[in-house]
Amino acid sequence: MTNTSLIILGLFICAFCGFAVYDLATAKRHKEVYRAKSSITAYLMLLPSVALAFLFILLPILYSLGYAFTDYYLLKPNEIGFVFLDNFAELFKEISEKGMLYNAIINTVTFVVGVVPLQIGLALLLALFVNRPCFGSKIFKVCFFAPVVISLSVTAFLWEQILAPGEGGLLNAMLGMFGVPPHDWLRDPNTAMPCIIVLSAWQGCGYQMLIFLSGLSNIRKDLYEAAALDGANGWHKFWNVTWVGLRSTFVYILITVFIGACRILTQPMLMTGYMSHTVTLSYYMYNLGYTERWVGESSAVALLMTIFIGGVTLIQRRMFREK
Amino acid sequence: MDEIKNLPNFRPNKTPVKKTVKEVIYYVVGIVLSLIFILPILYMLATSTKSESAYAESVGTLSMFLPDFANLGIAFDNYKSVLVNYDIWKYALNSFIYAAIVIVLNILINGLAGYAMAKLTFPGKKLLSFMIIFLIVVPVETSIIPLYSIVKIMLGLKQEMSVIGVILPAAISIFNIFLFMQFFQNIPKEYEEAARMDGANTLDVFFKVIMPLSKPILATVAVFCFIGVWNDYLWPSMILPAADDGSWSLLPIQTALITIKSIEGITTGEIMASLVITSIPIFVTYVAAQKYIVQGFGTSGLKM
Repeated sequence: MTNTSLIILGLFICAFCGFAVYDLATAKRHKEVYRAKSSITAYLMLLPSVALAFLFILLPILYSLGYAFTDYYLLKPNEIGFVFLDNFAELFKEISEKGMLYNAIINTVTFVVGVVPLQIGLALLLALFVNRPCFGSKIFKVCFFAPVVISLSVTAFLWEQILAPGEGGLLNAMLGMFGVPPHDWLRDPNTAMPCIIVLSAWQGCGYQMLIFLSGLSNIRKDLYEAAALDGANGWHKFWNVTWVGLRSTFVYILITVFIGACRILTQPMLMTGYMSHTVTLSYYMYNLGYTERWVGESSAVALLMTIFIGGVTLIQRRMFREK
Repeated sequence: MDEIKNLPNFRPNKTPVKKTVKEVIYYVVGIVLSLIFILPILYMLATSTKSESAYAESVGTLSMFLPDFANLGIAFDNYKSVLVNYDIWKYALNSFIYAAIVIVLNILINGLAGYAMAKLTFPGKKLLSFMIIFLIVVPVETSIIPLYSIVKIMLGLKQEMSVIGVILPAAISIFNIFLFMQFFQNIPKEYEEAARMDGANTLDVFFKVIMPLSKPILATVAVFCFIGVWNDYLWPSMILPAADDGSWSLLPIQTALITIKSIEGITTGEIMASLVITSIPIFVTYVAAQKYIVQGFGTSGLKM
């Protein structure tokens, strides 16, 4: 592995030198002036970040790509063999046999499909709700934002307690007041993912609300007056002024929430453990690579996931591109 | 006046009664929504003050959300016990130390890089700016397993060295380089030129001219670094050895929560107290640095 890293480092330095020479050669054409002293200072300033980025960002990405085609087992780093597409064949076999990976995909898709509209819709509604100058709205804003402040892992622990089975859980106790019998929310395959979706939206939507609010504050007030003069009602105003003004904010939020949702790991990991009805793709990947130490196959999952997330992000961007 | 009334969209001022009704509805809806968001947190705060028997008694009644008024004298017993018996203050201190080192390194390393990219010309710049854009887009979290094996091989198996494995990967952030770059590009050249006339070299310019002008971005980066380090539990749990004997554990607080939660005989009140303690620093950060967090939205994402 050390040797491979050195080879990659060599290639990287060669590529950099190549670009540098190209820049120097075309300097005159682009009317750039390179001074030796200033260039050396720049290199020295960039050295620490380039070194760290190479080690901790670029190398892992490249290795993740490479390992996907090997049978790397974490405890035997010296016996890596190239297996071509075997890992992917293994993964597809597991999907077709409805194994753990199949569950992971289903659960992740359920989570993304549930949480993205819920969280963004809630965030937008709350932002519109508190976006008026009065004393109460400030207090409401603080309340809506409060769950963001307690972090995701604290949220997971807190909700584990709230959703606890039997009479001791908060939710069961509250429903008990209305005569509903207690329910084991996180162990029941039908309610576990919906609960995780709701608590995730509860925890996260305050953050997107603030981003929507900063987007709302950038919409010019006179546009509303102009719309009113043109005879627009509330809905028209929302659709033609607010929504148009929030478009770029919305795309940004859609992409970040989508990517975040695809990566979901904390909630199932801390609340239920490795169970077939709550396992997600990230959790499957982590379990395979870290707990079971099959880095090769785990990297294959990572590669598929990266391609999927990147692809959908590109589509979203294209769909909502500014016209 | 009549002319205005004949315009299609003119609405006469709403009557005071109608307006009041609307206000009342607004507040009722607001309070209900707020309760949904705040009740679980009230439950956490209230339970953290209760002994196990008081908690068992309160379940199923409204006093689940209220502190134990009968025994206010022992309201902080759970806090005392998690702080003294379960050493949560040590984990919190670990987290603070990690965060402090990461903030300093992160600002220094990424700030210098951002400055070089924004203000200096050198051969090879195009490759680096292309890589910055590329690495921002690629989702990094999927490569956590290779990162783990790289760091493990780099550091060997020495436990003391694993602290470096927590800090160094957090010290580099392509996104922060990008943030610094954007900010520095908007600082007028005249400031630097004036300093250079006085014989300052590039490093002098960076530390004495650029840094003091960049307080808002420094604060934003520092705040997000702190929140990031404080809330991270997965990476430290992979790279740091678990606390076993009586020696000082290296775990940060969020990772330690997993261990604390599974201590035998811990009460619900004590778990809640440790959750509250974990949340306080982030709460203080958000209150103190609101301005910079909102600025972070403005400068970062929305220009994507």
